[in-house]
Amino acid sequence: MEGNIAVILPIAILMGGAFTIYVLTRALRLSNKIEALLAILVLAGALAALLNLVQPLIDLTNINDLFYGIRQPGGILFYPNIVGVYIGGIACFICLFICAYSGEYLSRDPRYLLFYPLILLTIAGLVSMFFAADIFHLFLMAELTTITGSALIAFRFTKEEAVKAGFKYLVMSSLGTMTMMLGIYYIYRGTGSLYLTEIASMTNDFTRIGAACFLVGFSIKAGVVPLHTWVPDVYHHAPSAVSGLFAGITSKSMLFIMPMIILQLGMTAQELGLYLMVFASFNMLVGVIRMLTQQQLRRFLSYSSIAQTGYLMFTLGIGFYYQLPSAYAAGLYLLSIIAFMKCLAFLTAGNYEYRFGTGDINQLMGANRLVPLNAFAFSTALAGLSGIPLLAGFTGKWLIFAAALTAGDAFAIAGLVVFLVCTVIGSIGYLPMLVKQYQRSRANLKSLEKNQLTVTSTLWIGVPVVVLTLIVIVTGVFPTPWINLIENVVRLVAAV
Amino acid sequence: MNTYAYLLSGITLLPVLGVIILILWKKATKTQAAILGIISESCALIIPIILLSELRAGRSVVFSLPWIPNMGISFSLELNWLSLIFLITEVLVTLAAMIYSLGDKDGEKRSHYYYALLLLFSLGMSGTTLADDVFLFYIFWELMLIASCLLIISWGHGENRLRVALKYFIITHIGSLMVLVCLILLYVNFGTASLSALTVQAASLPAQTQVFMIIFFLIGFCIKMAIFPVHLWLPDAHTVAPMPVTIILAAAMLSMGTYGVLRFPVALFSLEAMQPFALWMMIAGLISEVYGALMALAEKDIKRIIAYSSVSQMGYILFGLGSLTHDGMVGSIMHVIYHAIVKALLFMVVGILLAAAHERNIDKIGGLAKKMPVITVCAAIGVLGISGMPPLGIFNSEWMIFAGGFDSGFPIVLTVITLLGSILTVIYSLRFFGKIFFGDTKPEKVDTNISKALLISTVAVTVFLIIEGLTPGPLLTWSELGLVSILGGLP
Repeated sequence: MEGNIAVILPIAILMGGAFTIYVLTRALRLSNKIEALLAILVLAGALAALLNLVQPLIDLTNINDLFYGIRQPGGILFYPNIVGVYIGGIACFICLFICAYSGEYLSRDPRYLLFYPLILLTIAGLVSMFFAADIFHLFLMAELTTITGSALIAFRFTKEEAVKAGFKYLVMSSLGTMTMMLGIYYIYRGTGSLYLTEIASMTNDFTRIGAACFLVGFSIKAGVVPLHTWVPDVYHHAPSAVSGLFAGITSKSMLFIMPMIILQLGMTAQELGLYLMVFASFNMLVGVIRMLTQQQLRRFLSYSSIAQTGYLMFTLGIGFYYQLPSAYAAGLYLLSIIAFMKCLAFLTAGNYEYRFGTGDINQLMGANRLVPLNAFAFSTALAGLSGIPLLAGFTGKWLIFAAALTAGDAFAIAGLVVFLVCTVIGSIGYLPMLVKQYQRSRANLKSLEKNQLTVTSTLWIGVPVVVLTLIVIVTGVFPTPWINLIENVVRLVAAV
Repeated sequence: MNTYAYLLSGITLLPVLGVIILILWKKATKTQAAILGIISESCALIIPIILLSELRAGRSVVFSLPWIPNMGISFSLELNWLSLIFLITEVLVTLAAMIYSLGDKDGEKRSHYYYALLLLFSLGMSGTTLADDVFLFYIFWELMLIASCLLIISWGHGENRLRVALKYFIITHIGSLMVLVCLILLYVNFGTASLSALTVQAASLPAQTQVFMIIFFLIGFCIKMAIFPVHLWLPDAHTVAPMPVTIILAAAMLSMGTYGVLRFPVALFSLEAMQPFALWMMIAGLISEVYGALMALAEKDIKRIIAYSSVSQMGYILFGLGSLTHDGMVGSIMHVIYHAIVKALLFMVVGILLAAAHERNIDKIGGLAKKMPVITVCAAIGVLGISGMPPLGIFNSEWMIFAGGFDSGFPIVLTVITLLGSILTVIYSLRFFGKIFFGDTKPEKVDTNISKALLISTVAVTVFLIIEGLTPGPLLTWSELGLVSILGGLP
């Protein structure tokens, strides 16, 4: 092993932390809350370790100087990159809220012991995928996220739907990783190497077939239509905190790993952009149209998430197809704000379920009377997702428009038209969902009051919800620092 | 920035302060909340009056703070003659509606939220007229929609209010998105969101882009103006909304569409660029005028009659704008103001009738003249006003619009039909007035005990309408100056 230990530190903290927390909780029979706190500490450590990589990445003249691993055939190598650090940082940051929230949310689940280590391993897998310098290592980490993801989705294994959802994810996601495996075979056959930097210099037809396999694999994991069938079931039946993590960051970040790999395998940026823009339209349309008929909050959010994946694909597609760094920056911005808004939406929807035992919006009419803060936070998340001005989503919408109009040709404009149509259809879905919480229904209110599973919410749920709400509002009103940050990230990407 | 600039920011900041206080003041009674709302709104009226001296000296007042510097977006407000006219109209209408609301039964529950939303609704309109940054313009533009939509959902009448609000939201949102596309296109082309800067540069865009943008701007703003056939949101929204909201929607918010047409396609591009669309605007205006009037004639619901009359009146305005002549455009600006006053008055009368007779069907109300003499006089002045009878204001504006039509160079038959179409306005107005106040069918029970707030506000608006009609000079001057401020000279 050689190189800079700081490179491996975030992954080591996450993996080591997962193991340590598991052992400690099992040995000392720690409570859910204590375990949640330990997970928060680990995530904070990983976040700090990721931030520690920023300066070396800025100072670096040769990207190959910063690595960790074994520089020999068959050895595992980690090369950090700024996009990975950024998205990994967002993932860790989001998980801080998810773990804090789960400190209360999982209080009725006896299997909480496994939850936090699985979350940490999922994030470790995600960061490793970004840092992976060889495709086999990438495959292993993709498998890690598949397995930990499946376990998290089927966390409430006494519920049949949860097990089915977990199984569905396992099958679909494994299909994705198996396709990647097939891709690895072709690439290795064509080049005799597994290292991305080496492969990039000797691309051929085999590597291009491999690229196509990776494209399919990542598309399944990202929930690209028509490979999205796992999304509604998973986000609906997994614990809400897990849905927040998957919908917010894990699945969408696949769209950023995808180009990092595929563009080195011989696929051109135009081809990738074309693929993303065409399939983005399907995602947008399927997402918003299916969203309209949903009454279950989390199923509604699942379809909305499919649409948001489409928005993100469209923006990135423009970036690659037209070689527009501003569109790529818009994509990064969109990813960040979707992460916050989606996580907030799932956490608040989960809070409704935790409190009233239902996620059906018709049964939650008037719920604002009993949980005004939750209703406000959920409304903020939905309003943000629908792109209402002064919330984070609006700046994202503006940037998507700007990217498409900057590109300016008929193809981009056609995509923009689809986006516009979907925005309008989307608001038909968002508005009633948002308003119904405030609609008075005495019968409903009485039933909600009577069936409350818990009467008070603790700070464990309150603090993450309030902080995320503030982030969604503040990012909407003052997006400048965030945009500055992303511009710096994109500048560094361009420099490399 | 000088003191005047900081004062200008008060037009948007003081209502925000009022909103914050109202949201926090949960125990406020309706009267307390209304008074706070009225005070906040009064500030928004007093400030532009103070700033009038600056405008008279030939200087526009500008307030600007950097907001998102790396995107070239700033919190910029500009008060010029055009924005002044629309701002004062909107603020006066909101004030009248707020005073009226004191005697109205709507908004008695959760009053603090009700008045906070009314203030936000008004703030959206004030901000729209003052914004000198396209990003900011759109934020205020959407704020106006969101606040009014929430008011309809929360305090609207009838079980279908959510459906109506959704329809209103979706249709107007489509218009907003069309406007947004154009705003971002401007931003992308010139790298700035400053409206002042864009006004100077926009004419340099390729002709094809200009055509595209003019079409999108016109459709987007015509949706807000409720021009036929994109008027579908208006009748239901006006009918379901609580009366003070209906007043603001009809008398003030519709005029924002007119402001949009003037501030964007007309001000950004040359009149030559607008010329190919002039005839279509006039035809659309004519159809809207006739269609609205016919629908008002066919309607039995008294609130919907007045609602459809808005579709008709907006038709006159678009016709005048489409003429692209001095008289037509100045007439349209004047018509916005006169229409705001008349429409506020007529909806106030309708509100009082609904409260008194508990009946909306015009066939079931009649003979109220003897029981409600003051309201009868107010209604008479209102219907004479909207019919364009001299010396009431709309006569002046219609005169100018028709003059503009004849002067436009397009076949005079268009203007003749529009002129003749105004007879329909007279017919539906007189039907409305005659049936309700002198008809034979008498409602079972009439509650003539009208609240003072309703009465005072209605009478005040009536008096204001008469004064405005008798002294059109200042308004004409302001309207001309408004046009000069965007065109740089009279067409």
